[in-house]
Amino acid sequence: MNLAIRDVRHDLSRFVLTAVGLGLLLTVVLAMTGIYNGIILDATALPDSFGADLWIVQRETRGPFAELSRIPAGLEERARSVPGVAEARTYVAHTIQRDLPDGSPVRFMAVGLSWPDDRGQALPIVAGRPIAQPHYEFLADRSLGLPLGARIPLGREVYVVVGITDGLLASGGEPAAFFTRSDAQKIQNETSNESLRLERAARSARIRESELGRDPELLRFSGAATSLIPAIGPAPVAAVMLNLAPGASEASVRATLEAWQDVSVYSQEEQRALILGGVVEKTRRQIGLFRGLLVVISAILMGLIIYTMTVDKIHSIALLKLLGARRTVILGMILQESLLLGGLAYGLAVVLGNVAFDLFPRRVVVGNEHRLALLLVVALISVMASIVGIKKALAADPNEVLAG
Amino acid sequence: MTGGRSGGVVARSLSKHYGEGNTYVQALSEAGFEIQPGEVVALLGPSGSGKSTLLTILGLINPPSSGWLSIGGQEVIRDGQIVGNANIIRRRELGFVFQRSNLIPFLTAAENVRLVLELDDVPGREARQRARDIMEALGVADRADHLPAQLSGGQQQRVAIARSLIHQPSLLLADEPTASLDKELGRQVMQLFRSAAKDRGAAVLVVTHDQRALDLVDRIFEIEDGVLTVGSEGVAAHSTPGGR
Ligand SMILES: Nc1ncnc2c1ncn2[C@@H]1O[C@H](COP(=O)(O)OP(=O)(O)OP(=O)(O)O)[C@@H](O)[C@H]1O
Ligand SMILES: [Mg+2]
Repeated sequence: MNLAIRDVRHDLSRFVLTAVGLGLLLTVVLAMTGIYNGIILDATALPDSFGADLWIVQRETRGPFAELSRIPAGLEERARSVPGVAEARTYVAHTIQRDLPDGSPVRFMAVGLSWPDDRGQALPIVAGRPIAQPHYEFLADRSLGLPLGARIPLGREVYVVVGITDGLLASGGEPAAFFTRSDAQKIQNETSNESLRLERAARSARIRESELGRDPELLRFSGAATSLIPAIGPAPVAAVMLNLAPGASEASVRATLEAWQDVSVYSQEEQRALILGGVVEKTRRQIGLFRGLLVVISAILMGLIIYTMTVDKIHSIALLKLLGARRTVILGMILQESLLLGGLAYGLAVVLGNVAFDLFPRRVVVGNEHRLALLLVVALISVMASIVGIKKALAADPNEVLAG
Repeated sequence: MTGGRSGGVVARSLSKHYGEGNTYVQALSEAGFEIQPGEVVALLGPSGSGKSTLLTILGLINPPSSGWLSIGGQEVIRDGQIVGNANIIRRRELGFVFQRSNLIPFLTAAENVRLVLELDDVPGREARQRARDIMEALGVADRADHLPAQLSGGQQQRVAIARSLIHQPSLLLADEPTASLDKELGRQVMQLFRSAAKDRGAAVLVVTHDQRALDLVDRIFEIEDGVLTVGSEGVAAHSTPGGR
């Protein structure tokens, strides 16, 4: 005859309701853990997806993810010629918010790939294919919600979604979209015809008023497209990614690059550390704190519940003592009820989490190791809560039964 | 039959005092008596005279200040100290019935009855069978699966008596068991104690204010200011010669 189960059954609805309440609290704890993991994964998925060994960025900056970095596009060629470097690619990215033809706004980060070497073939493409043309094709992240084949006007051109990636977000949470570098820069720099005309006119006017204005050749160029002016180089890029040749020494490549006065170099690991230490550190700490607080609240709540459950049956406990019940019988009853409550709440949290976490706007990543960790925490809380009840039970006096 | 057990209860010089100095109370002084197996004794006395005090000493709930006690031929208190494991003695040698709130509310009647056996690790099958038998004998077998709250006061009291007897204790202690019952039920309950004593060889000590059932006891102990007066052959011995 199990006393714990019989006591619970006697007031089942109260017990279940308590377990549901506690279960919801644990669901939030689990969600916090998942969001915490999701933030880390989201923040590092994009930089990780390129599989680069080294990142070259603007000197003294923590770019290109933690802060802005601008380096000349020509660095790609310079880096490629360093002994030990197998591959060099540029990285450009900027956030764009536009209205679709149907009026709904889209916000994403346009990432430029080094066409033709990088067509996005290394990215986690879950539908469609990598980019196959130098223009007007792009890969959109699933979270952007665009279907394969969607035609999106950006600036004066229309771009087609040819592939869908999964889980690639900017550090701000915007989905990433991958274009060829020239497309990405075009989208960024494209301005209306009127503003182009005004800008060129202003440029001509400035030149005409200076000494340079006496050169008719220069005057002719000043009114043309920026890219046609020989004195003005191609648009800068954010970073250059390097992959080392098999067997090449990372240290020696780094030494070469660090001798260049205009750049800083980070390994992939350092890049991750910059992102986690800077961009998401505060969020991470805040969520960690919140989660810890919820665990403490759950523990206090559970202790209170077990305490009141014990007080409610103190007369029965005194009677059990009078009848000569061993201590272990009484302690076992309280501990079992506590574990039962914790177990039920935990089960509910796991089931509810499986259903609900997919509906969260942010990515919630909960693995078996996190469920196991929560199980251990709940077991610990249950045992601690039962100690509160057990102390009360041990103080129960069989004389109380005689007193009626 | 009164056999099957030897010993009953033997008490020698049991004393109990509470407090010190100003608050000193001599609740029981030098009580000595014997109760034979199969004998029913009523304990009478005004409020505050020490009835409950004596009962809790006999029930090994509170130790006396001094004295000696044996139950069922086994020494359980020596020099005011409990000898051996009080829990085991309670599980095997003692039965309790109180005025009310005798039963655990979340257990059915049958579970309450067999609880003592299960606490003493009697196998479930045997415990069930013995619970069925004794509830049959006390006329509450048809309420076996009811919770205490679903039973009448008299039924609750009979279930409590079944619980107090199932393990065949040497000593059955009852503190005003009939107080919450009407006259007829009160007599019935006393009658049950009587049969229990005669059939199972238990020594029975009943604290009562209930004059209506005194003809059913063998002897009467009276207590006043902690001083116990042991009566000689009691009323029932004359009214129902030879017992039952
Ligand atoms: N825990 C205690 N501390 C101090 N004094 C106590 C304690 N318990 C009982 N007493 C005192 O001992 C005396 C006997 O009390 P007891 O409870 O045995 O009386 P009783 O005969 O059962 O009375 P009633 O009929 O009212 O139940 C009383 O004077 C009481 O005040
Ligand atoms: Mg009393």
